[in-house]
Amino acid sequence: MINICHMKKNFGELEVLRDINVHIHPGEVVCIIGPSGSGKSTFLRCINQLEKPSGGEILYKGENILDKSYDIRKFREEVGMVFQRFNLFPLLTVRENVCLAPVLTGHKSKAEAVTIAEELLKKVGLSEKADVYPATLSGGQQQRVAIARALAMEPQALLFDEPTSALDPELVGDVLEVMKELAKEGMTMVVVTHEMSFAHEVADRVIFMADGYIVESGTPDQVLEHPGEERTRTFLARFLTTDKTEKYAGLAR
Amino acid sequence: MDAEFYQTIIPMLLSGIRITFFIAVTGILIGIVIGSLCGYILQTEIKPLKAVAEVYIWIIRATPLMVQALYVYFVIPKWLGVDLPANTVGIIVIALNSGAFMSEIVKGALQSVDPGQKEAAASLGLNGAQILFHVVIPPAFKIAMPGLFNQFIISVKDTALLSVITVNEVTHQAQNYAALSFQTIPTYTVLALFYLVVISVLIVLQKWVEKRFCC
Repeated sequence: MINICHMKKNFGELEVLRDINVHIHPGEVVCIIGPSGSGKSTFLRCINQLEKPSGGEILYKGENILDKSYDIRKFREEVGMVFQRFNLFPLLTVRENVCLAPVLTGHKSKAEAVTIAEELLKKVGLSEKADVYPATLSGGQQQRVAIARALAMEPQALLFDEPTSALDPELVGDVLEVMKELAKEGMTMVVVTHEMSFAHEVADRVIFMADGYIVESGTPDQVLEHPGEERTRTFLARFLTTDKTEKYAGLAR
Repeated sequence: MDAEFYQTIIPMLLSGIRITFFIAVTGILIGIVIGSLCGYILQTEIKPLKAVAEVYIWIIRATPLMVQALYVYFVIPKWLGVDLPANTVGIIVIALNSGAFMSEIVKGALQSVDPGQKEAAASLGLNGAQILFHVVIPPAFKIAMPGLFNQFIISVKDTALLSVITVNEVTHQAQNYAALSFQTIPTYTVLALFYLVVISVLIVLQKWVEKRFCC
């Protein structure tokens, strides 16, 4: 569905991504893990070109979306994104946040968008919050609104950039619950995350990145429980000793 | 105070007030357009336009308004070979002056909008103009409001300086009257009260706008 071939990204001299190859299939949930500075977020942001990749190609529906002639808005309308810091529009109500893009891009009439917003807010458990402003919501609620906002464009796939990293621990569960629900419905998802138990439970594939390379890729069982590479083992061991879920800690060490 | 004083000064001040208002309002409105455009240009990467805006702002900020008025009234018409009426020059000067200061306010406000919101809007497929008008400008407006009102107040008061180029705004009228009648105390007291009232109205308007649009 989205084929990323030999993608590179430099910031000046600094090589953040070196030769990334990932094929994302329809309905697949891909979790990307790795140490900070490994290029995970840059990789995700290069897919919808919030960062312009320095090289390589990304094929979507048979077109290279990195071509100069390709209008990236077309891709962005079909592949949504959820950010670490929610990035809701603070002067719009929750409902207006969800309705803005479908109306402006001409996908929906105002009335249709409002109907869809009601449905989506119900889905993420925030029906009563439609008329409030984002600042009055908790982080977890804001992130669920952000997910509803992305879903309002009826995307083919969603990119999640550490969606629970800015949340208080007790709020993480509600957001992950919504994401699990989406996965169950067959949404194609690429998730940069530190939530190993989520990756283990939901992902079809886990990719471990370090230093701008894909070090290891496979089923959650392969990568998280039987990592083949030394780097993966070191990361998981160091990561999991600080993680409350000690389920995999013993295995990783 | 006798009736004659009032009969003479009131019409003089009223005509002055009309000119003050006309020049201040027109000048500030044009200034808002200039300031919005230049402020927008300053935070883009369009190098040549940015350079033009920077030179303009530098010249205005580095010279006194009175000198700008003298220059536009006496020097520029000589170069162009045309005569510019004093009131027109007054509007041009207030517009150019307030525009330069508003550029900096607008630039700062646009830059202070969280880039994450622009990214979120872009990630939803909105185009540049939609992001600017629906996502960037509303919060930027809120941030710019106090600074812009400050500039409106300064510009209204700056119109008094246009008396040097014979604009018959209210201060110039008061000066004329005081010189003829020697009624300096009442004349200048009325003049000061006039500015107090006008600026107070602006301050009340600012409070209202901030309450209405700024949550």
